[in-house]
Amino acid sequence: MSIFSNLGIRGSILGLAAIVAGIGVTRSCEGGGIVTSKHRVDLTFWNGFTGPDGRRMLEIIRDFNHDHPDIQVSMQRMDWATYYNKLMVSAMDNRGPQLFVVHASTLPRMYRSGFIENSARLYSGTEAIPSADYDPYVLEQVKFKDQFAGVPLDIHPQGMYTNAEMLRATGITQPPSDKASFMRALRALTKKSGSGDATQWAFALTLWRNNFQSLIPQFRGRYLKPNGDADLNNPGNIAALQFLGDLSREKLIPPPENGLGWVGYRQKKVAMVWDGVYMLGDLLRLQGLDYVAAPIPQIGPQPGTMADSHVLCIRKGLSEAQRTGAETFIRYLSKNSIRWAAAGQVPARRSVRETAEFAGMPVQSAFARQIPFMMYPPRTPVLFEVTLEIDQAVEKVIRGNADAKTALDLANVNAQRAIDRDRAEQKIAPSGGQKP
Amino acid sequence: MQRTGFLFLAPYAVSFAIFVILPIVVSFVLSFMRFDLTAQSSAGFVGLDNYKEALHDNYFWSAVKATLLFAAMIVPGLLVIGLSMALGINAMARGRAAVRALVFLPGMLNIAVTGILWQWFFNGEFGLFNFALKHFGSQGQPWLSDKAFAMPSIVLMSVWWTVGGTAIILLTALQQIPGMYFEAAALDGASTMRMFRHITLPLLKPVMSFVVVTTSIAGFQMFGQAFMLTRGGPELSTRGVAQYIYETAFNSYRMGYGAAMSWLLFALISVFGIFQIRMMRRPA
Repeated sequence: MSIFSNLGIRGSILGLAAIVAGIGVTRSCEGGGIVTSKHRVDLTFWNGFTGPDGRRMLEIIRDFNHDHPDIQVSMQRMDWATYYNKLMVSAMDNRGPQLFVVHASTLPRMYRSGFIENSARLYSGTEAIPSADYDPYVLEQVKFKDQFAGVPLDIHPQGMYTNAEMLRATGITQPPSDKASFMRALRALTKKSGSGDATQWAFALTLWRNNFQSLIPQFRGRYLKPNGDADLNNPGNIAALQFLGDLSREKLIPPPENGLGWVGYRQKKVAMVWDGVYMLGDLLRLQGLDYVAAPIPQIGPQPGTMADSHVLCIRKGLSEAQRTGAETFIRYLSKNSIRWAAAGQVPARRSVRETAEFAGMPVQSAFARQIPFMMYPPRTPVLFEVTLEIDQAVEKVIRGNADAKTALDLANVNAQRAIDRDRAEQKIAPSGGQKP
Repeated sequence: MQRTGFLFLAPYAVSFAIFVILPIVVSFVLSFMRFDLTAQSSAGFVGLDNYKEALHDNYFWSAVKATLLFAAMIVPGLLVIGLSMALGINAMARGRAAVRALVFLPGMLNIAVTGILWQWFFNGEFGLFNFALKHFGSQGQPWLSDKAFAMPSIVLMSVWWTVGGTAIILLTALQQIPGMYFEAAALDGASTMRMFRHITLPLLKPVMSFVVVTTSIAGFQMFGQAFMLTRGGPELSTRGVAQYIYETAFNSYRMGYGAAMSWLLFALISVFGIFQIRMMRRPA
């Protein structure tokens, strides 16, 4: 009571105004990046690098800040799901970070939101990042008509991790590279106790969907037709999923409810798993696991795997100083991506992959051998819906609740429904072009 | 004096208006709109289309089914276990305060901590439950990865997490029952069971009604438990309406459709709430 009496109504209003003004100042700082002195630009950089890769990125940023006193980058990291929600909501209100990372597979949705700056400037001029230094397929992922949504920092393909000690114990000297050697290894490495319970598994699925998607290119499968319609139930996809379903049905992998996978591999209960190159960060912290990495064995008629990329993006609406600073940072990261590779990534730039330093990274370089055969997730704004359908189909087949064709037929119907709905809402023709 | 009263109320009233009333109004308006965060240019009013879509959406109905199943298991579970605990604590001659505090402790944890803790309990390979089962010569169970086990496992965790609050409410109500009723019944030769049926239960009915309605509302809003333990799996069998709304709004960015499903969930909760209140008010 006394506080209000002393301040009076006018004082209270002024106080509130000061608070509101304070909020406004904070907001403007968040929104536009802070220009703290005439020459220094402070930039925020958001990403989902919450593991050991985040610590590596922090080291790179520290060195960048040291080398560029006029541009100071601060990083904020959070788990990917939270990250994308926050990024979307804040960036659309021009309050997001100036720099951020988006997965290549998520770009179609994010780019459509309209807050990602065209990065074409980075690929031209005297300090250009040479576009010829990227595999055309990778660069294609960030292109939208004649615009670039960002700069690919890395490629993270799925590959095979093997426990060399377990392989050697059964006389296998090389990781399996084709279906015949893979099936031989499956039978040789799975060990059962007298009661019939497995005490050691040759192979376990990790993220089921990713394991399936790694086989899709091997069987010449695809997600979408050239006109953008769903094509989840094509013969290649069915054959790929059938292979995994057969492994489950023949009890060559742990039962679905078992939950082994990466954890089992870490604990030397599983000899081989397929997972992303980024899992290397986890292995580097382990003691006593003799691991060897290799491409995913060729199960289908051709080699192949699933991959994705972290793409460096700039938010729209920055001042020229901020944009230039952000571009300088992206060039620096791209140029120094060998340091990023050490955290468990494959650099997107060919010139970096051709260095002796990269050749000395056994896991990364083994996974990189798959780059000519890799396939990214479906390039569609309704990625979440399509992915959910793939998840459901894979789960049904692995659990033995449906055959591959039935599961993928249903997934295709549902995915097409999501695509049709999106097209109708956005008035987009099946070819992908805008309706007149 | 009246103005001072309003001034004291103002901070809460303002926050209530901004964070409760405004979102309710906005979500109601949104529910009649097509509003995709990734394509705001296509935003516009679509009338009842979002509601119609939900009524024809198989995923919505499977989420409703999961929600109803959860509510149908958690409400009686909390009531029976909570009442048993309250009766036990009420009968204690010593240490009642300490036990009451202990019982309430799990409810102090947030859902993220509770979820991680129980993930380890349920873990097929290294979990506490399967360790205990194997120790006694039984086979481990797929607590979270089998459709038959997943929802009961989530309910089990939810009961552990929230039963303390229910027990404390019922204990408080038990302590309000005048002792003379029991003394009179004892003099008339009534058994403990008859006293429970004819004195305790009828006098607890208003509070039990409150517990049933509030736990039902919480049950219909089930989200964190399934999200932490199963992410809605296996095969979406534990994905409730709240999680589906979250995924629609924040993964698919379809705010309008998410808002429409929120209002349908509100309608569902209202119907059940009114039905339960009427049932509990009926004379025995």
